[in-house]
Amino acid sequence: MRATTLKAVAALGALAMLTAACSSNPSGGSSSGGSSTSASAASFKACMVTDTGGINDKSFNAASWAGMQAAKAADPGKIKAVTYLPSTTSADYAQNISTFLSQGCGIIVTVGFLMADATEQAAKAHPNQKFAIVDCSYSSGCLKGPHLKNIDQLVFNTAQDGFLGGYLAAGMSKTKKVATYGGLPIGTVTIYMDGFWDGVQYYNKQHHAGVQVLGWNEKTQKGTFANSFTNLAAGQQIANTFINEGADIIFPVAGGVGLGTAKAVQNADSSGKKVYMEWVDTDGCISAAQYCKYFITSVTKGIAAAVSASVLSAANGSFAGGVYIGTLKNRGVMLAPAHHFASRIPTSLLAELNKITQQIESGKIVPATKSPV
Amino acid sequence: MERVTAITTAVRAPLSPGRRYAAAITFIALGLVDIMLLGFFSHRGDAIFALSLPGAGTQLPSLHAPAALTCYVAGGISIALGLLRAFVEVSRRTKRLTIAIVLLCFLIAVLCWSGSATTTPLNVVSLLQGSIEASIPLILGALSGLLCERSGVINIAIEGQFLAGAFASAIVASAFGGLWLGLVAGSLAGGFIGLLLAVFAITFLVDQIILGVVLDVLALGLTNYLFDRLMAQNPNYNTGISFSSIKIPVLGDIPIIGPVFFNGPIFLYITYGMIIVIQVALFHSRWGLRVRAVGEHPAAADTVGIKVLWIRYRNVLLGGLVAGIGGAYLTIGSVGSFNPDISSGLGFIALAAMIFGRWTPMGSVAAALLFGFSEQLAYVMSTLNVPLPPTILNMAPYVATIIAVAGLVGKVRAPAADGKPYVKA
Repeated sequence: MRATTLKAVAALGALAMLTAACSSNPSGGSSSGGSSTSASAASFKACMVTDTGGINDKSFNAASWAGMQAAKAADPGKIKAVTYLPSTTSADYAQNISTFLSQGCGIIVTVGFLMADATEQAAKAHPNQKFAIVDCSYSSGCLKGPHLKNIDQLVFNTAQDGFLGGYLAAGMSKTKKVATYGGLPIGTVTIYMDGFWDGVQYYNKQHHAGVQVLGWNEKTQKGTFANSFTNLAAGQQIANTFINEGADIIFPVAGGVGLGTAKAVQNADSSGKKVYMEWVDTDGCISAAQYCKYFITSVTKGIAAAVSASVLSAANGSFAGGVYIGTLKNRGVMLAPAHHFASRIPTSLLAELNKITQQIESGKIVPATKSPV
Repeated sequence: MERVTAITTAVRAPLSPGRRYAAAITFIALGLVDIMLLGFFSHRGDAIFALSLPGAGTQLPSLHAPAALTCYVAGGISIALGLLRAFVEVSRRTKRLTIAIVLLCFLIAVLCWSGSATTTPLNVVSLLQGSIEASIPLILGALSGLLCERSGVINIAIEGQFLAGAFASAIVASAFGGLWLGLVAGSLAGGFIGLLLAVFAITFLVDQIILGVVLDVLALGLTNYLFDRLMAQNPNYNTGISFSSIKIPVLGDIPIIGPVFFNGPIFLYITYGMIIVIQVALFHSRWGLRVRAVGEHPAAADTVGIKVLWIRYRNVLLGGLVAGIGGAYLTIGSVGSFNPDISSGLGFIALAAMIFGRWTPMGSVAAALLFGFSEQLAYVMSTLNVPLPPTILNMAPYVATIIAVAGLVGKVRAPAADGKPYVKA
């Protein structure tokens, strides 16, 4: 009996590990499948560690991966392969990084704020290994340490396009109530919410309107959070709460959790309420296409371009390690096209948005935020 | 006279003076919080409570409560009850009633305090409706745990059963366009994890706690992998279709109660059915008696001819099927789309609800409702710009749990043979 038990445990354990391993099986299959036969001169390998949202989060992990692939497409002669390891829990971050350390990666890209500590430690221990971290910098307090030369910090001033998103939402709201919520109260999330809030306040000032923001206040830094980037039900419940309080435009800043909000908006729409939303990070009409008709716009950041540029710099030997800040001016952050709403946004509002864009670019308007990049 | 003394001693017996004063002190402390913190710091003015959903057929007038005054009254009642508990010995039923009243007073004070901070009315119907919806998976998960543990098998794998159910129902419903088919698939997927649990726990006598955790990791890895390989590549496998709400005629039109209890997805009514069936079957049927016997004293049950292992197999499978339905709710019952780790720990909260509910269906339901309500309350309060940091607000469900467990539940006892494999001597 005893032996059978042991065998049973072993079998089950092996099965669990197998599936875990399967899911960590680098994507390579689709992306680098043909690359093994590419020119022998190419030797550079770019590696990426996702955070727990996973490679298909339709948000920053997916965008980072798109940047990796774009880099390979841009310079296939130099970049031999791009590969990634997914993190199932936060305990995997350091583990995945050290796996890559032993594989001779030309650059290791870590995705997200939450991976700061693991990245910093690895970078300190391996000063010759190049790193790039998305959404994290020394000046935002995300990386703590003495400055390391081998980390490229890719950050985005999303208060700027959040500001535009807020202004647009305020202009489009019929109930004079708009809402936003976050995944977790961390800087890369609240900076969007700050910008959104400030954009609404600016609209109120310009139009002597009284549009209210539910779910966030830049001054007090208090508001609503789903406490998760995976709990879609929370996104739906929060959206229902907003809708029942009279909000008609919702801006979730919670990655995939926004899909729950999209469902709530769809339900409200089918019961005859006019409720819409703005997507975050990526163009929602591409990443969550089934809900495109509810998206007024998407408040995006150009993670893919930044990651691609960083990987290429490492491949070309021009990697310097420093801060890249995406802004409206360098097109590192922007509002996505309005798609379904293109004809429904009043031209006067579009003209105002263009003007504000210029004013932000020239520094005349500085969207308020307490989350520096 | 002797009889009376006997009865009073019997009533008094389980209560140590320490515990009695603990209740009194807690009541008075909560009363002081109502007055000093919530009352004094309320904005002068009314807290507005909306009693109908916007756009509902019949609109009730909103309730206006003077915030500070209401807090003072609520605090006064709590302190009075605290003094009562300190000096007067009351029956068990009255004790529970006082706890309920004090918690309700505290809740009302919190709502008034938060409601007075804004001009947006606090929508009571929305709050309750959200609480019920948040409780559905917790109730189904807790019932699943209960079915297993009453027969003596610990089910830590609820989380894994949720994930398997959520994934299977989403992919089947999306690929074949049949929501009911998805529901069946979700339930079966949960049942499959239940089967693994049964085989390894009952036949191979694997430690049930470790086994449950292994199954959770297995389900997480498996669904993540399949999501990456199937759903992410082909959006047609994750279209986000879901059951729409069903409103019960007449009952659904009752103000407040109607939208909360009689207007929800089909899962709401399935849950009602499950609660009743499991409650009745467990305590008023031969099946239930046998299950409980196997969970308490399998050797004795065996000697009277009950097939212990068969009953355990059957219950663990049933539990898996029920949790699978809970998982299906997470996708096709609510948000439609599947996402890696969509259950986000709900299975463990369901497990906690079952324990706090003392392994009874009704207790589990009450605990699940409490969790659902406090989660929803945190959302509602945060949308009203309540002057509390978001991290503190999100702690609310857990604080409520601690208070409720300490005050209402006391010592809990698991089925005696819970987690102990049965081997015929």
